[in-house]
Amino acid sequence: MTHFGQYVRERREELRKGDRRYSLRQVAERIGIEPAYLSKVERDEVAPPGEATTVRLAGELGEDPDVMLALAGKVSGELQEIIRRRPKLFARLLRELKSAPDHAILSVVREVRDGDW
Amino acid sequence: MTTLEHDRLVFRFPEVHEDACCAIDFQRTLRLPDDDREHLLPPGLGSFPLRHVDDFSHRLPPNWHDRGGVFFPIHRAEAMWVNFSADDYPFAVKVAAGKVNAVTGEPWAPQLNRDPQDYAVLPRQPWLDGFCVEKGVIRQFVAAQLGEGATAEEQITGNGEHGGLQFIVYPMKADRYEEIRRQRQQMMEDRVMYSARRSVMHGIPDLVEDMDMGMAPGGRMRQEIYEDEHGLDTWDQRHGQRCFVAMADALLWEAITDEQPPTEPPTAEDYNLAGLPWFDYYDDKAAALEGAEKLAHLKSIRDTLLKGIPRAEARVRHVGPSRRPRP
Repeated sequence: MTHFGQYVRERREELRKGDRRYSLRQVAERIGIEPAYLSKVERDEVAPPGEATTVRLAGELGEDPDVMLALAGKVSGELQEIIRRRPKLFARLLRELKSAPDHAILSVVREVRDGDW
Repeated sequence: MTTLEHDRLVFRFPEVHEDACCAIDFQRTLRLPDDDREHLLPPGLGSFPLRHVDDFSHRLPPNWHDRGGVFFPIHRAEAMWVNFSADDYPFAVKVAAGKVNAVTGEPWAPQLNRDPQDYAVLPRQPWLDGFCVEKGVIRQFVAAQLGEGATAEEQITGNGEHGGLQFIVYPMKADRYEEIRRQRQQMMEDRVMYSARRSVMHGIPDLVEDMDMGMAPGGRMRQEIYEDEHGLDTWDQRHGQRCFVAMADALLWEAITDEQPPTEPPTAEDYNLAGLPWFDYYDDKAAALEGAEKLAHLKSIRDTLLKGIPRAEARVRHVGPSRRPRP
């Protein structure tokens, strides 16, 4: 299993090879947390940060926020709200799809319709 | 299949290869000073919100529904750039504005052409900021209302019929990708072996009439459209996915979607006064395409609609092949 902190550190270090602005200190500053705290997060010494910080970190590292939240063991407030509005329907949908292969799940995702142009 | 995820268009080709996935989003940016000098890369100021045309077709003109696709709000004279995201899997992407190819100035045609090359290759091409007017020079995409004569479409075809942006994306053929992957893997293994050896040694019906926007050429900027290093026959042209991206006047966005439109972006002058940087991108391993004759003769939006855009004295940051940094 990939640890959240380890994943963040590997991704940040990879970006730092091409751009020094991805140092621990500068990334921490840009997402509004202390460098010492980000260092602890990267070493998995503390629990992953809250939703807002995780989403900012995902944006900074060019990662999908939902994937980063999942790595942090969280579900975004936006997704929770979607489920809360129609709990029965979405619970059923998720259970139906829990073991489906990716291509089956993709077939129920809404496509952008291409028209006549 | 093409989906809309977090304001990005995501193109997946599971029928070709499980890795065949890329995305396109539209970044807000500063309008370059239109003073005939060549400017550096302006920053990304966040992505434009994208919505399905089908969700608001009761508030949009009927031809928008016919074309399908997505749309986003943009202010008049606001600039933007197209951001490409792809990991390892290569793609060929044709980009048009008002159905005029942004690389060659030719009318829209779905198939890829190599002579001259009329498409960009991902992931090498990280973004496209405008019309390719000379080798290594583009004119920035700047939004203008259709009907005013400023868009590239109107200048080249004499009509403002389509507006918006058009894309078609082709994945590389799966067997070519596997071959490249095997070669890369072999190179990695060779490197590991070499290192190991070294280490041993070391109000809407009235409003919608005027909402359609197109792209006019703005200020000049240094940007290269890279040559296809794979060859035309590597692209799987049986599996293209296309999308029409319409642009609505930002002032009408709330009337259409009930959402607040993005605020107007800062001017280049405001940005410089805040001491924020511009960027100089380089990729010394790639060759650039020549510019298009048809696009080189376009009139700038400065000559058609705008006057007196301030000059920018800029702080510059040099960046290599990587993500486009934020200010």
